[in-house]
Amino acid sequence: MPPRIVVVGGGAAGIGAAGSARQVDPDARITVYTEYEDAAYSPCGIPYVHGREIPDFQSLFLQGKEAYRQAGIDIHYERRVTGLDLGDRLVHVDGEASVPFDRLVVASGFEYADPGVPGTDLEGLYYVKNIRRAIEWDKVLDDVRVAVVLDASPLGLEMVTALAHRGIETHVVDAHPWALAEVADPDIMQPVEESWAELGVKTHFNTRVEALVGDGKVRAVRTSEGELPANIVVVCTHKQPNNRLAKQAGLAIGSTGGIVVDERMATSADGVFAAGDCVELPHGVTNIPVQGLSGSHAYAQGKVAGANAAAGDRTYRPVYVPWGMVAGKWMIGGASFGETLATALGIPFVMGSAEGISRARYYPGVKKVRVKLLAEPGSLRLIGGQLVGQEGIKERADFLAMAIRMGVTLEDLAWMENVYSPPIGALNEPMAVAAQNGLASVRG
Amino acid sequence: MVTFSQWLRGNSERYLLESAQAEMARRYLNRPGPPAEPGLGPLFWRRVFVPVYPRLPWRLRRAVIQALPGSHRRSWQAREPSRRPPV
Repeated sequence: MPPRIVVVGGGAAGIGAAGSARQVDPDARITVYTEYEDAAYSPCGIPYVHGREIPDFQSLFLQGKEAYRQAGIDIHYERRVTGLDLGDRLVHVDGEASVPFDRLVVASGFEYADPGVPGTDLEGLYYVKNIRRAIEWDKVLDDVRVAVVLDASPLGLEMVTALAHRGIETHVVDAHPWALAEVADPDIMQPVEESWAELGVKTHFNTRVEALVGDGKVRAVRTSEGELPANIVVVCTHKQPNNRLAKQAGLAIGSTGGIVVDERMATSADGVFAAGDCVELPHGVTNIPVQGLSGSHAYAQGKVAGANAAAGDRTYRPVYVPWGMVAGKWMIGGASFGETLATALGIPFVMGSAEGISRARYYPGVKKVRVKLLAEPGSLRLIGGQLVGQEGIKERADFLAMAIRMGVTLEDLAWMENVYSPPIGALNEPMAVAAQNGLASVRG
Repeated sequence: MVTFSQWLRGNSERYLLESAQAEMARRYLNRPGPPAEPGLGPLFWRRVFVPVYPRLPWRLRRAVIQALPGSHRRSWQAREPSRRPPV
């Protein structure tokens, strides 16, 4: 009898799991439950449709529903899973009979942290997540004059830039002293802040939200620095793991609130796997669990979880977290951690930084690239890095993550080989120069 | 319902980060750190935990972090990079 594999969640992890399970076992009976109207689209693209960089929402869909039917993946849309019975191997679904499973993949995603202030029940609060709601909100944005974004988180950065591109007076309120302060260093973010100012964005850092004010519909945000009028409020608070089902079922939960998994994405219960924003994973440098990573992490984890649910044998690995995004007119990115987080954790480091260029100095369109590298004292192994520039940031962030994983040292990087071709690369690779500067500072 | 390990991690992370952000904001932006939240709880974390933490030996800090329940305590095989030429 082919195994019954049930996947809870239709996001990147859930769809990755279903597709991978199908590849490993062509006969498996695979069912996916999602509470939304659609699956397999890119929610990460939503801010760019709002900002008019992408012309329509349709291009965010990866595949039509028919493609999944043809692949033998039975997706149940608008179906909320209300409970997991791991003893009797049943999934309880609202509006359906209980569904038996042999193996289960939990990919229940994330929830935005509650802003924790009065007024969160008002209309006019936009939580960017579901594409259907985004389509409705996109029409609303046509009539919005002033928007307030709560928290300069990764999504917050994208939404601030998108709303400003849309010509909306945009305010961002954040309790930290600079944007993306839990991830990026202030010197990396400073150009973004300047670029936002050029776009007319009003930043309110070191500012706490005290209440959302309105009569049925939000009309202002009360902060520690005064009241800001608002037609809408975009809530971009921390992405918390949606662990409600997992907790109720008795799966082990870690210190981040994410589901505990091993390298096979197996949870604490036999035959139950988990992937995506609902799990936590060890960081490759610190071995401290982290959660709430990117869509590419979720998809890759889903592939591992789905393969193993179909009796395959795949492993995931500790994460070095390459990240990157566009904010204002800048690209920012990095890998592992930066100076701020290393300082907070008390991790000893030496640092090297440099400002280089992305192409030959004489080639049209040449852009600055600022690189900052952190290395372990003594061994000089890379432990982190951050970048800001206007091209080539994503590729360098990916490279740095792999370099850290492979134990590359400042010495290795300082004398690395690099592509030199005037339209695509400068004679001196900025990462190599940063490493040379790091070596010079260590050796005096 | 937040477990003890979530409470410990959530608070320690928050206040250590807040302190590091204040230092970095002064150094790079000539800007103050996040405003202090009133109350006895925040006062304890800011005035007791944050100054004591960096004085603890790294091994002890690491041992406490590793002792918390989580994915890091399950099986994760690190593949050591090979320095041997492939052919």
